[in-house]
Amino acid sequence: MPHRNRAAFGDLERAVLDVMWGSEDDPRPQEDWLSVREVHAAVEEHRTAAYTTVMTVLDRLAAKGVIERSKEGRTNRYRASDSRGAMTAELMRDAMADLVDSDRRSALVAFVGDATDEERTALREALAELDRREG
Amino acid sequence: MATPAVLAVLALVLAGPASYALGLLPVLRRTPRAAMVLWQAVALAAVLAALGAGLSLGTERGMGAHGAGSYAVALVALLATVTVLARLLLSGHLVGTRLRRLRRRHRDLLDLLADVDSRSEELRVLHAGAPMAYCVPAVTGSRVVVSEATLGRLGAVELDAVMAHERAHLRARHDLVLEAFTVLHEAFPAVVTSRRALAEVRLLVEVLADRAARHRVGTRPLVRALSELAGASPPEAALGATHGIGERLAVLLDERPHRLQAGLVFALAAAVLLVPTALVVAPWLAQVM
Repeated sequence: MPHRNRAAFGDLERAVLDVMWGSEDDPRPQEDWLSVREVHAAVEEHRTAAYTTVMTVLDRLAAKGVIERSKEGRTNRYRASDSRGAMTAELMRDAMADLVDSDRRSALVAFVGDATDEERTALREALAELDRREG
Repeated sequence: MATPAVLAVLALVLAGPASYALGLLPVLRRTPRAAMVLWQAVALAAVLAALGAGLSLGTERGMGAHGAGSYAVALVALLATVTVLARLLLSGHLVGTRLRRLRRRHRDLLDLLADVDSRSEELRVLHAGAPMAYCVPAVTGSRVVVSEATLGRLGAVELDAVMAHERAHLRARHDLVLEAFTVLHEAFPAVVTSRRALAEVRLLVEVLADRAARHRVGTRPLVRALSELAGASPPEAALGATHGIGERLAVLLDERPHRLQAGLVFALAAAVLLVPTALVVAPWLAQVM
């Protein structure tokens, strides 16, 4: 994959999450709890990773709230907190809510937010005028 | 002698009528960089004057006549100064912590959920159907985020326009300017002009980023990208409020440089900071020393 993340664990975090979610054709049911050993085995199908590193990554993901942990006796088991689609949708909702915050305390900076009907009309008219002039 | 009174009046004038007047001058947006500097100069001068008024009153009374009344006045003045300073510092801490937490959380999730686009290292693509484009500012590792729907609607040049716009925000650290005015607004929410100042500065950073994008790709692709990505606002949220798009368009379509106005506005910004210092603060300092 052509990406490089800020955290050294970034790639591995995504790989572990991919295991949790399953593939698009074969999604893993959310109620599937996996042991560290199972996650490690699945990750190793595509790449090498030390067992302890996978353990650390699972801790990191749990701390970020994207996976859940349950203890069965002495074994920790993990599952994704939600599906990839649901998490993406939630992230988008957060971003939208931040960007239209009427109190203007946004953490994010939008290219353009919502527009009134008049503003959308103004944009279309300006575009038509530019097209006519330069077209 | 009259230093405290002059500084107090100056603080009130800058925070009140002066800021109000600036908000009534949309013509300032034609020279957005100078206007931004002027807003910052006025805000900074207002804060410094407010702090200076208390400080100078405190030292004047405390060091001058030695009656008990003088000490009481000096104490009250210093307390006022400390209160202003404390509110600013507290607000700065709260706003800064909140923004950093929100951004870190957002970026963590982005790095797990969004794909890096092959076109640019900092571009992230979210698998989502709603068109949107925004950036997550940070000292290192800021992100420009678009949805798949955005990529579907924009051509290569329009995407360049969006990227140039967002990169301008990130490069010029517009987030810091916005943060400073947010801190000011939250420290003194009752000062109506602090809200207006924040709203105007928000518009100015968009105007500046639009200019950077126009410089890179020209007006037409940028307006097309704006037109494609501007969402329909829910009717109940409108209430006569606009979103600054008309204002941004007006500046975008105006290609004249306005050098004279820019020079005058820059000079005014410098004067707002330097004249009070030279006429009021320096003599007072000389007296105190």
